[in-house]
Amino acid sequence: MADSSALLVVLGQPFMQRALFGGLLTGALGGLLGSFAVLRQLSFFSDALGHSALLGISLGILLGINPILVLIPFAALFALLVNQLVARSGLPADALLNIVYSTSLAFAVVALSLVETYRGGIQQLLFGDILGISWSDLTVIAVLLLGALLYLALSLRAQVLLTLNTDLAGAFGVGASRHRLAFIVLLAVVVAVSIKAVGVLLISAFVVVPACGGRLVCRHFPHYALISATLGGCCALLGLLGSGLTNLPSGPCVVIVQFAGFALALLLRSAFSRQV
Amino acid sequence: MTEHSPVLLVEGLSVRRGEQLAVDKVSFQLARETDTALVGPNGAGKSSLVGAVLRRVLHRSGSVRILGHALGPAGELPRAVRSQIAYLPQSLALQGRFPLTVGEFVGFGVDPPGLSLAWLGSKRRCEAVLRALERTGCQDLAKRRLSALSGGQLKRVLLAFCVVRPRQLLVLDEAQAGLDAPSSERFQELLLELRRQEGWTVLQVSHDLEMVRRSCDQVLCLNQRLRCSGAPDHALSAARLAELYGPNVVPYRHHHAGVGSHG
Repeated sequence: MADSSALLVVLGQPFMQRALFGGLLTGALGGLLGSFAVLRQLSFFSDALGHSALLGISLGILLGINPILVLIPFAALFALLVNQLVARSGLPADALLNIVYSTSLAFAVVALSLVETYRGGIQQLLFGDILGISWSDLTVIAVLLLGALLYLALSLRAQVLLTLNTDLAGAFGVGASRHRLAFIVLLAVVVAVSIKAVGVLLISAFVVVPACGGRLVCRHFPHYALISATLGGCCALLGLLGSGLTNLPSGPCVVIVQFAGFALALLLRSAFSRQV
Repeated sequence: MTEHSPVLLVEGLSVRRGEQLAVDKVSFQLARETDTALVGPNGAGKSSLVGAVLRRVLHRSGSVRILGHALGPAGELPRAVRSQIAYLPQSLALQGRFPLTVGEFVGFGVDPPGLSLAWLGSKRRCEAVLRALERTGCQDLAKRRLSALSGGQLKRVLLAFCVVRPRQLLVLDEAQAGLDAPSSERFQELLLELRRQEGWTVLQVSHDLEMVRRSCDQVLCLNQRLRCSGAPDHALSAARLAELYGPNVVPYRHHHAGVGSHG
């Protein structure tokens, strides 16, 4: 059982401080992007992107390049290609995404099985290893968070109108394909950057769970985005602390805390409904 | 652009939807402050035509001029012209617990198109929203979730979105679809009143032929091509309706006062 002195020891470690800061930023970024992704019904898209990112990592390993350097352009390119495929094939998006992500996952696993030296690291790829986060990773995440905040603040009206009715948005001068593309690429880059902390399998939870929690308790859109980002950041912080104290994998710990946050939002909502 | 120039001028407009020609060489114009109805059977190309006039449609030929400015191939219009267009859709994709209040939604219409911090509740924006909601009888709905409104309330809120900033051209795509007879009647009365006050030029897609007969100045009968156009009495004669909807179509009268095509 972890006590307060163990907590202080954990908090005193520079790698843990970096991890907590990284978790806070990644969680907030996931919650912020997620609040828009959930409304625009792109939550499965983030899941598919996360799974497919493993293929990008495998390619990096096979080519002998730092996987993280490959991952960001791979995710952005992958998102653009999938977007085109969904637009042109006429097939339902969820079925198409299923095909794409299971195929890329299969290729990734085959590719990784060819690389003897990487087998030991597969668990970290799948479930995240935020303790290995560096200052340069943190800088990238912070810049991305600021960029996402700026873009979403300026395009909030366009994003909401596009969600409500594409014709209404079009008549209002909103470039539907331009904004969809920009959002999807942003989501892909966020997913790629967060993989290190969260892992391939659980990345979609970072995007979806805080946003759904926020949606349960908010009626105003700016509050909803803010609460989702705060919930994402705080849950990541608590989950990482739990992970540091118990020596359990960081990604699952964060997701369990996120679920607790979601359950709390459900309780708050039903309590509030009863009062009304 | 003079006072007598048409607000909307469409010349030889054709729209392709996949392999099919949805609209074939259609020409018409809307004079300032007139109300024009676009009628025709399902699949006649009404929504394709409206889409081509409003926004980007890839397979389009012919010319569309709004307030004297040509609509570009990708739907480009000068921002000043774009800000003069209001559009009222049939419905909104409001999933459960959509986190947006009526006041916030109407507030999105205050600033002209473009990137902006339109969600900030400035005093100017709040006053404009309140005025628009009062004019459409929605002042009590400002704090309600958009997803919690009835069909009739939502249509009035959509009108508030259109009236929150002065515009010249209002396009409605079957705006009364899904409303019961009294709600539809109330919506039409409100639309007429606001049109007079605002000086809107209106283009509305409608299936309610009795409403069209009573309220509109001009009717465009579309079935891929423009079959006829003119004043309602001329364009909606029994012979022309039979030509447009087919010989077995009998216009029917709703129990309240409305009439629609039935076939």
